[in-house]
Amino acid sequence: MSSVKEYKCPSCGASLQFDPPSQSWKCHYCLAEYSKDEFDKHSHEEHLNEDMPDLDSYICNSCGAELIADDTTSATFCIYCKSAAIIKSRFSGRFKPKSVIPFKLTKDQAKQIYSNWIHKRILAPKEFKQKEEIDKVTGIYAPFWLFSCETDGFIQGEAKTIHTWRSGSYRYTQTKYYHFLRRGKARYKNIPVDASKKLDDKFMHMIEPYNYNEIQNFSMKYMSGFMAERYDVEANEAETIMKSRVEDYMEKRLRSTVIGYNSYSVNSKQVLLSDITASYSMLPIYLLINKYRGKDHIFIINGQTGKVVGDTPISPLRQIVFGLIVFAVVWIIAVFGGALFV
Amino acid sequence: MLYLYKRISIVLLAFIFVFLVAQFGVCAYSSDNVIDNLGYLTESEVLYLQGSIERIKDNYRLDTVIVITDDTQGKSSRDYADDYFDYNGYGVGSDYSGLLLLINMDKREAYISTNGKAIDIFTDKRIDNILDDVAQHLSKRDYYQACCEFINNVKSYANSGVPSNQYRVDTERNYFHRVLTMIKSFPVYIVALVISVIATLVVTFSSKGKITINYQTYEENGSFALTENRDSYIRESTVRTKIESSSSGGGGGRSSTHRSSSGRTHGGGGRKF
Repeated sequence: MSSVKEYKCPSCGASLQFDPPSQSWKCHYCLAEYSKDEFDKHSHEEHLNEDMPDLDSYICNSCGAELIADDTTSATFCIYCKSAAIIKSRFSGRFKPKSVIPFKLTKDQAKQIYSNWIHKRILAPKEFKQKEEIDKVTGIYAPFWLFSCETDGFIQGEAKTIHTWRSGSYRYTQTKYYHFLRRGKARYKNIPVDASKKLDDKFMHMIEPYNYNEIQNFSMKYMSGFMAERYDVEANEAETIMKSRVEDYMEKRLRSTVIGYNSYSVNSKQVLLSDITASYSMLPIYLLINKYRGKDHIFIINGQTGKVVGDTPISPLRQIVFGLIVFAVVWIIAVFGGALFV
Repeated sequence: MLYLYKRISIVLLAFIFVFLVAQFGVCAYSSDNVIDNLGYLTESEVLYLQGSIERIKDNYRLDTVIVITDDTQGKSSRDYADDYFDYNGYGVGSDYSGLLLLINMDKREAYISTNGKAIDIFTDKRIDNILDDVAQHLSKRDYYQACCEFINNVKSYANSGVPSNQYRVDTERNYFHRVLTMIKSFPVYIVALVISVIATLVVTFSSKGKITINYQTYEENGSFALTENRDSYIRESTVRTKIESSSSGGGGGRSSTHRSSSGRTHGGGGRKF
């Protein structure tokens, strides 16, 4: 059995890839289109419940060339024949994802989003905005741990109501002090935590949220036509990140129930988590990494919703020019407008 | 011959007397600082006012003038008041400090012209207050009371001096002049600098992206429940503070100024009665 999977068109045998707009599989050669059910009939789902040995190198099924892939890359393309190649060992056993949100945005849409975004970065250097960069936008299934848990927490502290009134030539300020306690329970579902060391946690957090209504049971078929990474952050490492997020959510939730006071302060708090479950999921992103003067600048699009995050280098020259323009405009408005009123 | 001479002398004296009486009838009683062309004030009243005016001059170094007339030589009350002050040598010190109350019976208008230090002491608000008092008596044809009220006001405002928030506003400068003032104004540069720095910082740091999830994004619908919810009263305290009266008499620091035909700067204001 081959260690690399390549999905072929049942009609013509060309590489069959997932097509985001139709959410089906399309052969670009003979234009045949297959829904998930139709495709499943032709190509049975491989269960891959057992761990498979990770090999040093993989060979492309179509042309026999060696695939160039990082340790964590689990779906890629053959650099010679451009066929989609899925490395089975990296989707099997402990690396077998439970769920996937398929791409909804095409690469062209992603390019368009990037080009709109980069044009609005007025402080980015001109060289950075060059057109050829756009073609390097890559669709990647990124590994995420989706955590669900029960929480029980409390906050307590002191609250104040302030009442003022006037009597004669005196102003009275009455302050009433209260002690408050709020204890509550909540269930949190599918909190995503980035499971790839390659991808920046902060940016991955900013492309949230994903719409879980479109989540599917995992199938390698969705990987066809995209890159994919396997996790290299274990669930228990990711759990600490999730815990601090849930503690924050719960505290805010409890705080939102402290109403009717002019001000309050929390003196003590505690949030306990139980029934923590982690589920391994592949979520779609478009990624573009631009190198500029030795530094990586990341641009990420949520492959489902189109939400954008990214950073660009800042050109000090452009900053100064921008500052001067604002200065000049404000000054002109202040001088000519202000002169109407003095 | 002697008899004839006596008769001529008597006639002459009588003539001179009649002439003088006639003169007084028109000019009435006037002094250096109280010019009553219409004879509304008695001699003793003029002398009393003049006495008060001289004390103000000694104490506060302010020249005070009252002019009552029905002939402003075709000038507006403002121009007549300004010119009367400028061309009759009034004013104390190098900046000709002083003020003039013109009671213009032709247009039934009272106008106060201020000059030098008096521009700063008598802000628009204060002039308005004085005119309130003066016009009240003028409309009752109580000219002496109007003058006394004026003098008393001058005394009390001169005594309290220039209000701390006083500033001059030249009402006659054209737009170009005001633009020039704004160009020279330091705060404009500070404001523009602060805004441009803030705008640059905002644009620099806002380029990355925003977190759009909140504490309820991953909360399962309806799963949140308060299991304990207590609010207990501890204590209370009441503080009493005296309300400071904010009216400090006069108020409003603006002194509007303009230039008279002599080129000197005046302040002032008028009121119909």
